[in-house]
Amino acid sequence: MLGFLIGEALRDLRRAGRVAVAAILLITLSLAALGGFWLVSTNVGQAAARWRDRVRIIVYLKREPPPAEAQALVERVQAMAGVATVRYVSKGEALGTLKQVLGKDASVAEQLPTNPLPASLEVTLTADGATPDGARGLIAQLSALNEAEDIGGGIDWIERLARGKRLLEIIGLGVGAVLALAAILTVTTATTLVLHLRRQELEIMRLVGAPEVVVRLPLLLQGMLQGLLGAVMAIWVLIAAYALAGPRLEPLVSQTLGLERLAFLTPQTVVALMFAGTMLGGCGGWLARGRTDR
Amino acid sequence: MIELHRVWKVFSVGPVKVPALSDVSFRVAKGEFVTLHGASGSGKTTLLRLLYREELPTEGQVDVLDVDVRSLRGSEVAELRRSIGVVFQDAKLLPGRTVYENVAFVLRVLGTPRREITPRVFDALRAVGLSSRAQAYPAQLSQGEAQRAALARAIARKPLILLADEPTGSLDETMAAEVIDIVKDIWAGGTTVLFATHQAILATALRQRTLTLMSGRLIKDEG
Repeated sequence: MLGFLIGEALRDLRRAGRVAVAAILLITLSLAALGGFWLVSTNVGQAAARWRDRVRIIVYLKREPPPAEAQALVERVQAMAGVATVRYVSKGEALGTLKQVLGKDASVAEQLPTNPLPASLEVTLTADGATPDGARGLIAQLSALNEAEDIGGGIDWIERLARGKRLLEIIGLGVGAVLALAAILTVTTATTLVLHLRRQELEIMRLVGAPEVVVRLPLLLQGMLQGLLGAVMAIWVLIAAYALAGPRLEPLVSQTLGLERLAFLTPQTVVALMFAGTMLGGCGGWLARGRTDR
Repeated sequence: MIELHRVWKVFSVGPVKVPALSDVSFRVAKGEFVTLHGASGSGKTTLLRLLYREELPTEGQVDVLDVDVRSLRGSEVAELRRSIGVVFQDAKLLPGRTVYENVAFVLRVLGTPRREITPRVFDALRAVGLSSRAQAYPAQLSQGEAQRAALARAIARKPLILLADEPTGSLDETMAAEVIDIVKDIWAGGTTVLFATHQAILATALRQRTLTLMSGRLIKDEG
C-alpha cells in the first residue's frame, strides 16, 4: 500500500509540472540562504572563539605586593567563576615589557626617576566568562578586590563580537523565515493544483470508500518529496559555492577573522537542513490537504 | 437491506426551499432488482445519493444495510460505501489510466493485496465483456464500452448493492441492451440492484419492481 501511495505522490508531482518545480526552487533558495547564513555564523563563531582566547582583563594593583601575598591573590582570582588563567606581572616585569616595546627608544624609560608602572594581574577567560554577562560579572568581582586600583581590557570586544554574531543569526533566520513562508505557500499552491487535476480520482476514491489516509497521504508525501528535493539541491548549491568561493575567500578570511580555513556545515547541520526542507514541503502539502474537504 | 421512511430532502436556493424528495417511503429486500423511474428532475439521483450517503435527508430515516445513514461519521461512511457500487450516466473513468488501471485503481485504494488485483480485475472485465480492451484508454472506448468499464470497476469490489444512475441514458438501443444484460447478470449473482432511468420503455422492458417518482414524490410502486 505504501508503495502505491508513494507512486501516486510521484505521479502527482509530475502532474503539478512547473508549479512543483517553482516550489522546489523556492525551497532550495530558502534553505540555501538559511544554510549560507549558518555557514557564515559557524565561521564567525569559530573566529570569536579564537579571539575570546586572546581577550584579557588587566587588574592594576594599588601597590606591589610581596611574593607570598601576590601568590595568594593569584589563587583567589583563579578561584573566581569565568577565570581560565591568572598571571601576576610585577612592576619590574611591566617596565621590562615596555622597554621591549619601545625597542631602540628604550632609553627613554631608563631616564624615568622611578618606575611608574603598576603591578597587575593578567586574567584570561573561560568560554562562560567570555560572554558579555560573564565578563561583566567577573569585572564586578575583580573591582571589589581591596588590592585593585583599576580594571582594563576586553569587554568591548566581547560585546561587539556577541552583537555581530547575534545580528548575523537574526538576519539569517529572518531571510530564511520569509523564504520558508514563500516556499510553504508555493508547495500549497502546487498541491492545490494537483487537487484540481485529480479531483476525479478523489471523487472515485471517496465514492468507493477509500480510507481518508489513502485520500490524503499522497498529498502530504508529495509536499514532503518537494521539500526533500529542494533541501538536497540547496545542499548541493552550498557545496558548490563552498568549493568555488572557499579557496578565493580564504586569504581575506585569514586576514580579517584570523581563520586558516573556512569551515563547512557539520553532517548534523546538513541532516537538519534536509529535515527542515522535508518538513517545509510537508507543511505545504498538509495545508493543501485541508482543501480535499471542500 | 434498504429502507426509507418518510424521507424529505429539501435544498435551499437562497431564501427559496426546493423539495427534491417529499415523504418517500419504501423497502428493498436483499437480492431484489428495483427500477427507479421518473423524468429528469424527479428526484432519482437525489434518492441514490442518500443511499450512498453523499447527501443527508432533511427529514425521515434512511437505512442501508440495516444502518441509519444519518448516524454515520467519517470512516463509517467509507465503510458503508465499500459495500456499494455506483455507476453514473457519464462513466467517470479516469482519462489518464487504461481500463485495467481504472478497475485496479479502486482495488488498490481499498488496500486489496497486490496478488489479488490482476485476477479480480480480469474477472470483472470478463463479466462485462471487456477483457480484450484492458489496455485501452477511456478516449479509445465507445460510450457503451466506457459504461461497461464503469460497471467492471463497480463490481470488482464485489459490492452487496449496485446503484446505477441512468447508466444507459446516453447509449443507443444496442449498447443500452448490452449494459442492461450485464446489470442483470450482476443481479443474478446475488447483488441488490437499484436501476434509475427516465426511459419508460426501458422500465417496462426490465420487467422488475418499479418505483415511479414524480416531482420528488413516490407515486407508484408496482411489479
